[in-house]
Amino acid sequence: MPSLVGGSREHDSATLTCQTVHSGYRNKPVLHAVSFSIDEPSVYVVLGPNGAGKTTLFRTIAGILRPTSGEVLIDGVPIGRQTARDQLHYLSHMDGIPDGLTVKESLDFYARVERATPADVERVLDQLQIREFSGTFISQLSSGQRKRVSIARVFLRERKIYLLDEPTSNLDPKIAREIRSLILELSKDRIVLYSSHNLFEAHEIGQYVIALKAGALTLFDRMQNVRAAHFVIGVRTLEPAALLADWERSGEYYIRELSGPELVPSLIRDLEAQGVRLREVREMENPLEDLFT
Amino acid sequence: MAASLELPSLLGITIRRSFVVGRISLLIGGGMVVFYSAAFGLGGPLFVSVGTVVLPIFAISGGLGGALVFTNDRTKGVLEYLVAYGLSSRRILFNALVAGLVQVSIILGAGVAAGVTTYLLSGYALTPRLPEILLVYTFPMSYLTVSLMTTVGVFWTSLSSPRAGMNSPLGVLPMIGVVPTAAALVLALALGAYASQVLLGTELVVLVIVVSLLSRTDRLMPAERLLSPG
Repeated sequence: MPSLVGGSREHDSATLTCQTVHSGYRNKPVLHAVSFSIDEPSVYVVLGPNGAGKTTLFRTIAGILRPTSGEVLIDGVPIGRQTARDQLHYLSHMDGIPDGLTVKESLDFYARVERATPADVERVLDQLQIREFSGTFISQLSSGQRKRVSIARVFLRERKIYLLDEPTSNLDPKIAREIRSLILELSKDRIVLYSSHNLFEAHEIGQYVIALKAGALTLFDRMQNVRAAHFVIGVRTLEPAALLADWERSGEYYIRELSGPELVPSLIRDLEAQGVRLREVREMENPLEDLFT
Repeated sequence: MAASLELPSLLGITIRRSFVVGRISLLIGGGMVVFYSAAFGLGGPLFVSVGTVVLPIFAISGGLGGALVFTNDRTKGVLEYLVAYGLSSRRILFNALVAGLVQVSIILGAGVAAGVTTYLLSGYALTPRLPEILLVYTFPMSYLTVSLMTTVGVFWTSLSSPRAGMNSPLGVLPMIGVVPTAAALVLALALGAYASQVLLGTELVVLVIVVSLLSRTDRLMPAERLLSPG
């Protein structure tokens, strides 16, 4: 079983364990023998192509779907028990906001479920920048505004494990960045499982990768250990460089494939020695893309 | 691990939301009940003999609020959220059921008040037959058919993808409530001497069906059925 239990940081975190979990829907098995254990506070990005089982994994960990075999445990307690559920926050890819209420009333509704206080509601109104439409009915909000209200509920009350299924979809870039900052802050002492279709976002926020393919766990590793099959770099120069004329082009970038990132420093040195004035050198392919093939 | 805190029932907020989400059916159902009761009240004895008997048929369409909240919450992913936090299918169904019953209580209350007012204003005196028929038939039959409608509606919705229009569960639901009531009335008219027994028998049958469905909630509606089909 891949395990990251026993990280070096001091923390008051829970341990989330999936033990040979088979799960799915009636007549439709989705997850096949998924096993891992986590206790280090961090952001774990859950990646995989459509239908790989990301949402099913979240629903199973959240206790909504019962594994057909295997177990989900939090601190050794099966997720079916309320004491285990109380350690979790689950944000599904649906908004999950009740109709017929204003933003403030929706948060009051969540606060009642979460056993949070009116002061918590006031705090998240500011934290998620939704106070300006707190009196507006949910049906009158844009999809991005609804998403912010939906996210607000996971900040009402602290829990040890956060399951966030595409939390930044439909958000404008500025708000998405702010939400990611909040999540990163949260992950200092909490476990966050985070699914996203945005690979650049996943690369930016995740310290670990959990990859699924056809319902099976295909990778569980630190983000820094995930490497692309093809390491391609792009070089942007201050003026057109005749020396790079034989390189492939992609927009403003001169493109070259290297055998690995360890060759980048020497390449930069060689180019500068030959008088190429560099403006930017970047990795062109996201190593996470390979997880989708 | 800390001891679990008791989950809130969410009954109050479900009832309140049923008035917002189901406001149109409430207005139409309530309006029809008040209008027909007041009209039958003007006819004096007609209110007692016919008005009280047809009241449940009109009241049913106003008690859709609980089923509407359930359908809405399932589609929007609210039920998925609630189940993840430990709310059971049984509790969710119970909340929808009580919300429907509260609505029908208000509609019946308003209808009876309107009927009795016009009845008295028309110069007729109240007889013991009126409270008797209200207590034995009008109120129980209304509560039972709304319970049947809500329970069947919730189970049916949880088995299906959302569809709009008259062939959706919500479009057909009022018929589920109306059919046993109307059948009982036709049968009671046909078997005049046994009318009371026919009506009480129908109530008993509906009660047995509702209790039987409710007792199978966990089997008929596992948490998976509460997930949004979207």
